[in-house]
Amino acid sequence: MASSSPVRKIVVAGALGAVSIALVLLNLGFITWFAGASITVLHVPVIIGAVLEGPVVGMAVGAIFGLTALVKAATAPQGPIDLFFVNPLISVLPRILLGLVAWAFFRVFMGRMRGLAATVAGVAGSVTHSILVLGALVLFGAIPLAVAASVFVANGIIEAVVAGVLTLAVVAAWKGIESRTGKARLADEG
Amino acid sequence: MRDLEFFRNVSIGQYVDSGSPVHRMTPATKYLWLVALSAPAVASLGYAGALLPLLSALCAAVAAGVRPSFLLRGLKPILPLFLVVAVMQFIFGWPGDRSAVLFRLGPFSATAREAHIVLMAVARTVSLVVIVGLFTSTTTEGEAAHGIEDFLAPLARLGFPAHAFALAATTALRFIPIVAGELESIVKAQAARGADFGSGKGGVVAKARAYLPLFVPVMIRALERAEALAEAMEARCYTGRGRTRFVVYELQRGEWVARLAAVFLCVAIFVLDSAVSAPLAALLGVFA
Repeated sequence: MASSSPVRKIVVAGALGAVSIALVLLNLGFITWFAGASITVLHVPVIIGAVLEGPVVGMAVGAIFGLTALVKAATAPQGPIDLFFVNPLISVLPRILLGLVAWAFFRVFMGRMRGLAATVAGVAGSVTHSILVLGALVLFGAIPLAVAASVFVANGIIEAVVAGVLTLAVVAAWKGIESRTGKARLADEG
Repeated sequence: MRDLEFFRNVSIGQYVDSGSPVHRMTPATKYLWLVALSAPAVASLGYAGALLPLLSALCAAVAAGVRPSFLLRGLKPILPLFLVVAVMQFIFGWPGDRSAVLFRLGPFSATAREAHIVLMAVARTVSLVVIVGLFTSTTTEGEAAHGIEDFLAPLARLGFPAHAFALAATTALRFIPIVAGELESIVKAQAARGADFGSGKGGVVAKARAYLPLFVPVMIRALERAEALAEAMEARCYTGRGRTRFVVYELQRGEWVARLAAVFLCVAIFVLDSAVSAPLAALLGVFA
């Protein structure tokens, strides 16, 4: 799925970056769960960028997403933990690495089963994202280790599943991968 | 339906146009100041390194005609939330923490190390909020996107795709209103069909499934637009090499002084920080 022109890579990075920015600024990237807890899907565009166009695009989208989160944390924070995202080592660096890791997982599993590879990239990318962000939060004293671990168990796993499903859905629709329910409908339009 | 008016609420940062000499500087210089002040705020060992950037940023804000109270304003409703952070550290202990116990309450205890962690976290965060606030109030989004190429120019010589990244950033900014508009129309269309985003019942899996009809079309539409744009650019033989620019930032007088000052300040804060913080930490027995 790689090997597209440089111009295309740049533009796709920009478009996915825009989706990322819009989701961050409009607060749409959250799925609320019980008791006010919510899981995030904000990192999924980064994974999709990495899967569709390779590691550099993934990292570029990650950088755009991270910087937007940083600016939002500084200018319009919404919660106590939000505030710590003004630290680029918490908000930007993990997201850049996320692009690289998601692509690596996709690469390993990319063979005949692209659908599986995309799902794995989504799940593994999401787990990486949780570990890196929570790890950075612990490192900078935002939350204690015990809290980070419980958040990872409570949120991280479901986030990973949701990210896998969303990545597969978008990649399948875009690339026209055969799925259980037949060919994805949107594939004919592009 | 009030929440569905996405278009009007899209803005990044908080630009304040005061037309000061600081505003007129090239974005590259502002980036340099941003990094020079953020680095010690993030990576310093002690309070001096975390708080001196705050002081410098407030001074720079006065020079830029941005009221310090404007930058600190955003912090006010958040300050109580630092208490939450402190309470979390208080309740959960750190493994292997042997520093002095400040006070106990039942099974919980506050140690010097926990206090240090909370205070440092607060100091770093407040500094960074003001520094980033200063940057966004003196730099427009467009300047930030264009300027990143100039700022990364030294890295470009080493092969870093500075131009490509700047182009991706400007593309993203151009796409935001389009994507926001599409999100708005898709959410409205789904809501008209009885979809419920946010407050609905059902488990997290059901909600995640409800999210698919929003997320997938937005992503696919964005990718389609990217495809069309890429084709248009390739048809016009765009390669990125030897591009001239519509917006050219001119160096203001004294700009090199400002750049050198940023580097000097950054180094000075780090040196001062390592000189002051180690004895202080030893005195408190924080790292004991």
